[in-house]
Amino acid sequence: MTDYTWQSVYFSYLLFAVLAGGAVFFFIRSVKDGYLGPNSEGPKYRMLEDDPELDPPQPNGATAPRRP
Amino acid sequence: MATNAIRGSMAAPAAVATPEIHSDTTVKWFVLGAVGYFAIVGIIALIIAAKFVWPDFLGSISYFTYGRMRPLHVNGMLFGWLLAADMGLAYYIVPRLCGVRLWSEKLGVATSVLWNIIILSAIVTLLGGYQKGIEYGDLPTPVAVLVVIAWVMFGINIFATIARRKYNQMYVSTWYLMGTILWTAFVYLTGNFATLLPGVTGVNQANLTWMYTHNAVGLIFTPAGLAIAYYFIPRASNTPLYSHKLSMIGFWSLAFVYVWTGAHHMLHGPISQWLQTIAIVFSILLLIPVWAVVYNFIATMKGQWHQLNDNVSLKFLMSGTIFYLLTCFQGPMHSLRSVNAIVSKTDWIPGHAHMAVLGTFSFMAMAGVYYVVPRIFHTTLHSEAVANWSFWLFLIGGLGMFTALWLGGFWQGWQWNNPSIPFIDTVVALKPVWMVRFFSGIMIFSGIVLFLYNIMSTALGAGQAKAELARS
Repeated sequence: MTDYTWQSVYFSYLLFAVLAGGAVFFFIRSVKDGYLGPNSEGPKYRMLEDDPELDPPQPNGATAPRRP
Repeated sequence: MATNAIRGSMAAPAAVATPEIHSDTTVKWFVLGAVGYFAIVGIIALIIAAKFVWPDFLGSISYFTYGRMRPLHVNGMLFGWLLAADMGLAYYIVPRLCGVRLWSEKLGVATSVLWNIIILSAIVTLLGGYQKGIEYGDLPTPVAVLVVIAWVMFGINIFATIARRKYNQMYVSTWYLMGTILWTAFVYLTGNFATLLPGVTGVNQANLTWMYTHNAVGLIFTPAGLAIAYYFIPRASNTPLYSHKLSMIGFWSLAFVYVWTGAHHMLHGPISQWLQTIAIVFSILLLIPVWAVVYNFIATMKGQWHQLNDNVSLKFLMSGTIFYLLTCFQGPMHSLRSVNAIVSKTDWIPGHAHMAVLGTFSFMAMAGVYYVVPRIFHTTLHSEAVANWSFWLFLIGGLGMFTALWLGGFWQGWQWNNPSIPFIDTVVALKPVWMVRFFSGIMIFSGIVLFLYNIMSTALGAGQAKAELARS
């Protein structure tokens, strides 16, 4: 059967491949960062708390060290 | 329970008592603008609904013809109201989840100004008949270029804020919002620019357009809406999310599955069978992320359902969750070839789309707006009673509209599948359905007006409330 849609099919599936590749990359990275590990429930408790104050500005505009 | 009631209510006790950490100027600009456009475009929606019942209504005035009103309604609701509200709420959520201030309030306000220019340009051009004629991609190319510029400004601000975050592990809403920004870039460029490339005509153009149109809902409004719900359900109920791990599974399964589904709008059309089959398979797989999301939300509310009595944000959020379940069950089911043969191109489809964009994601955005506005203006909601009225008008009007369109669409499809019925008879037969939609639309529009009145009164009355507080 003749496929009349080859142009858009190849273009859209190129996009799908890029998006799927990006999703695989970041998914593996998130697993390495512990998002599916035993300590992955921390963010749901932390998000309920209001920050009493924000970290003071660091010298030379550097960001404050991150907390787990 | 008392603490929950206070925390979840429209009051902002913590914000009044503590020094100002976030200025939220950008949030105010985006949210108030979005609410205003919601009301303006609501009028357009009502005119369109009236035209279905009385086709000659305003018919001789070119600006009010269906061909100009419909793109204005679609683009106004998508970009003027919902995306603007989602962006405003993202500017509220991300700095708080990251424990830092927004990277640049000036850039945020500039983005808002540009967004207003875009919406006003859209109103002028679409009413004037200047449009590309592509579903959801009607905006003339210069206006679409401005959308891209505004989106880049929004993305830089949000990603720069996330890059400076205080905490290493990000909450799931942050993941969804990052996904929204990246996916929108792909999806919007495809729908608004790739469809115009030389040689992309006919079925080719339709294929790309449906990839854009379906993913505009699935990869722009779905992740943005879920980011909002994942933030505001725990915050409004003061209850931890049931499972952060499950929420991440839902996020990644959505990331893998959603992008492949757009071609299910072209089933039985002149496109490859294998392309149709892939779209069907991935549409069924959508049940995985949907189950992960809905189970998480409902499990979070276990033992907390009583809070719905006096918490309008939660009413909107949990109703939106039920609509999300319904619309995401409906989507995979009508992707099956046998069901699609009946409902495709009928009123079933706008019923389905309205349940997604209005019933699910607009409900979630309204919940966020009701939660956020009293807090960013350091005051209390103008009227809890009016907020409750707006919710019930939205819910009853929405249910009336969705149900009428589903039943009418099915009926319409059965008639279209019977070649002995003249087409015009199928049009006449649908008039009672469109009458129900019109009167449901009046209820929904009344809900929008009350929502606008309540939010604007809260914002404008904040200064007066502060003065009274200072005097006392």
